[in-house]
Amino acid sequence: MTTNSNDFELREAPETQLSILGKIWQDRMGRIGLLMTVSVFTISIIGPMIWPFDPAAVGADASSILQPPNSQNWLGTDELGRDVFSQFLQGSRVSLLVGVTATIIATVIGAGIGISSGYFMGRLDTVLMAITDFFLVVPSLPLMIAMGSIFGQNLTVIILIIGVLSWPRNARIIRSQTLSLRERKFVPRAKSLGATDLRIIRKHMIPHVLPLVVANTILVVAGAILAEATLAFIGLGDPDRISWGSMLHFAFASGAIGRGAWWYFMPPGLGILAIVLAFTLLGHSFDRINNPRLRDAA
Amino acid sequence: MGYLPRKSLQVLGSIFAVTTFNFFLFHIIPGDPLRLIARTQKLDAEQVAALRIEYGLDGSLFSQYLTYIGNLLHGDLGYSFALHEQVSTALMRALGHTALLLATSTVIVVLFGIFLGVFAGSRQGSKADSRTIIGALVFWSMPTFWVGMLLVFTFGVWWGVLPISGITTPNAVYETYFSYLMDIARHLVLPTLTLALVDIAFFVLITRTSLVEVMSEDFMLTARGKGLPRRTLVWRHGVRNALLPVMTASALYISGLVGGAIQVEVVYSWPGMGLLMYNSVLARDYAVLEAAFLVSSVVVILANFATDVLYRRLDPRVVVAQ
Amino acid sequence: MNLLEVKNLSVQYGSGQGGVLAVDGVDLSVGVGEFVGLAGESGCGKTTLAMAIPNLLPKYASITTGTIEFEGQDLSNKSESELNEVRWRDISVIFQGALNALNPVATIGNQIAEPILIHEPGTSHDAAITRAKELLEAVGISASRSSSYSHEFSGGMRQRVMIAMALACRPKLVIADEPITALDVMTQAQILELLRSLSETFNLSMLLISHDLSVLAETCDRVQIMYAGKVAEVGTADDVFGEQNSAHPYTQRLLKSYPNIHQERKFIDGIPGYPPDLSKSHAGCRFAERCTVSVEKCFTDEPELAVISELHRSACHLVGGSK
Repeated sequence: MTTNSNDFELREAPETQLSILGKIWQDRMGRIGLLMTVSVFTISIIGPMIWPFDPAAVGADASSILQPPNSQNWLGTDELGRDVFSQFLQGSRVSLLVGVTATIIATVIGAGIGISSGYFMGRLDTVLMAITDFFLVVPSLPLMIAMGSIFGQNLTVIILIIGVLSWPRNARIIRSQTLSLRERKFVPRAKSLGATDLRIIRKHMIPHVLPLVVANTILVVAGAILAEATLAFIGLGDPDRISWGSMLHFAFASGAIGRGAWWYFMPPGLGILAIVLAFTLLGHSFDRINNPRLRDAA
Repeated sequence: MGYLPRKSLQVLGSIFAVTTFNFFLFHIIPGDPLRLIARTQKLDAEQVAALRIEYGLDGSLFSQYLTYIGNLLHGDLGYSFALHEQVSTALMRALGHTALLLATSTVIVVLFGIFLGVFAGSRQGSKADSRTIIGALVFWSMPTFWVGMLLVFTFGVWWGVLPISGITTPNAVYETYFSYLMDIARHLVLPTLTLALVDIAFFVLITRTSLVEVMSEDFMLTARGKGLPRRTLVWRHGVRNALLPVMTASALYISGLVGGAIQVEVVYSWPGMGLLMYNSVLARDYAVLEAAFLVSSVVVILANFATDVLYRRLDPRVVVAQ
Repeated sequence: MNLLEVKNLSVQYGSGQGGVLAVDGVDLSVGVGEFVGLAGESGCGKTTLAMAIPNLLPKYASITTGTIEFEGQDLSNKSESELNEVRWRDISVIFQGALNALNPVATIGNQIAEPILIHEPGTSHDAAITRAKELLEAVGISASRSSSYSHEFSGGMRQRVMIAMALACRPKLVIADEPITALDVMTQAQILELLRSLSETFNLSMLLISHDLSVLAETCDRVQIMYAGKVAEVGTADDVFGEQNSAHPYTQRLLKSYPNIHQERKFIDGIPGYPPDLSKSHAGCRFAERCTVSVEKCFTDEPELAVISELHRSACHLVGGSK
């Protein structure tokens, strides 16, 4: 653990983001993850602006259906003659949007529950941890499917569902960190000086606990992106939004596999693989920086 | 209270919690719950009235809840208008198929995952180690359903060597019972391989990490000092200790199993719980969805319970900690 | 011929510029039936030196120079599988901190029987367990406890188990690395007594590592004092620990820092300062900076081990030390 038992050092600011990035850059896995993340973000922001085809524009006639890659449609066309490459560019946005926003929701819930549980302890802790363990055990995809089919299919609902079901691990980690932080001398000291619980939590708990869950939070992003893709593949995506998952849904449903249209089902899958792998590598890199024993010499 | 009674009570508590959660999840939907129960069907007034009484929908939410629990205790999971049969009948049929799929893939995943994890962990820092890690992370990052699509394309469409749909060949006539089993086995290959390719990473990474930690323990130096051959050293002393944390972590694998099954069953039209849930989503057949979610949660809770009991039998230290 | 003859041994941790020479050109000998003590502050290289003998060094450490002759064969360049022949059958180790030195998920009976089964092929499992039980009785543990696990024993009992295990194959040399450090004073005395009596029964030679000089003074025939990876002084226990005999200022300071084992433990007079950083090269005597009697020469010339009497050597320019 990176925590210090010396509470004098605790008063110093947690490691700055810049030096963490520096350490990740030193780590081979972290560097690859960082480069991949930056590339995907760049492509998803700039790509749709400069690629000329409308992802929703259907082909003029039967001759434009499921065409292999050519000079005009770099990644061919789908079963309605739409340009696959522009769908691919457009689809990256949904993955990233869902991944990041759902993770923010999950982190806020996880931090709220973890910190209240660890700080106030007692009966509140028992109840909150029972809820956390419940959500840790419940199989999440069936629950997402159930909620998705109940609450409807639009992007906001999907983000909420994924966010609301992704917090338990963070809550567990944050709780145990809060518990150990609470044992330090400065909590009773701050209290005796008249600090309120809210102030102690805001000033001491949040800034020192949150950096410790960065690794897991990054992995939550990866999980959220996979969850969105899976929900969309099952047919519970937002019908008005193109995502990599929904592309795969239509590729599968339209029989693109049987017709050998690899240009249709390969790009979105590779896209998901790339962004999920990027975040996974980043998360593992963070983990190894915090946990030097696991670091390999290579 | 002893461990087993206490843990059993906990398990009952979890099952009760998941049941309650399930009920309220499916009953906070705006509108008449009956419309959801019978979404796809046009019912006449008489049927509607009968259903209202059967589901206790004429009473308050709480009395509906009591009726629901009562029905569950009688094994009544409701009636599916989309399938025209009792939900429990449909579930029982599907459950066996999913169990076959998950049991086969779990055996493969656990065996190969642990083996690869030990392979990497006992060579910490080597090229073989970092390649294994990267390989595991890459497969771990693939959506299960997409791996399924790739295998369907490669083995089914491109090479055409393996069946890609269903559990048996349609309209096949089997000369012997063995050839029937062989047909199922052939259908099982790709779905199992799909699940295994993605899930194996979990055991590889956890086993590796755990073994790396164990290898630096003092008792490993003792074992080395005894002059044990390397293989004995790693397997008898290292792996035996490293597997205990792996067992604890497998709860995560267990809760992800159902999700994997859904994706694979959809891709390969494997007639199990996952395909049933998928079809229920398409048909908005809430009766089946509700029951399927409940059953899969209960199975996961029980599987975790079994792992915990097994863990306690394998770790001699637990008894004293009691 | 001595049982063990280590000559000019150097062990390096890490490699290249960041490497640390933890043991630097050290000689060490153990005769048949002899008890040799190895002493010094922590980090002086005594454990590294001892672990280098059956080559139980960590992966990132390597023997860079020197020979380790055991019964006339050089162990320093043997392969892992050749070393496995010698380990425990001829050279066994009592590790420090027996709490973690025993496998938590194997019964102690099986752990004691394990080296017997490995080194004496053809022994049946039952016969090995029977011998394990005899060994347990020999160290004062009831044979009926052979199916217990290590967590079911107290610290002192675990150390007894460790000793029984070390004797399993009737080795010629036992390396005991701080065998009593983690124990309370009463248990320490018992374990020392046990080691002494067993050494007679089993006709052992022993290399005993301890930072506690009183333990070595009571137990050992000869003692070797290490400082910063080098030998500071070596001689009979009487040479090194005798009131007027000690021939190195470091030994003299060490003797002042440790109370007698039978007296109340209190900190008497520590040595100010720290051992030097071994990743840097040194001119002169390594102890010079902390030495109260150092002269100019001590900072420029490295002292050789000088003969004082038949077995007594000291690496100090002011041989005979400050009296």
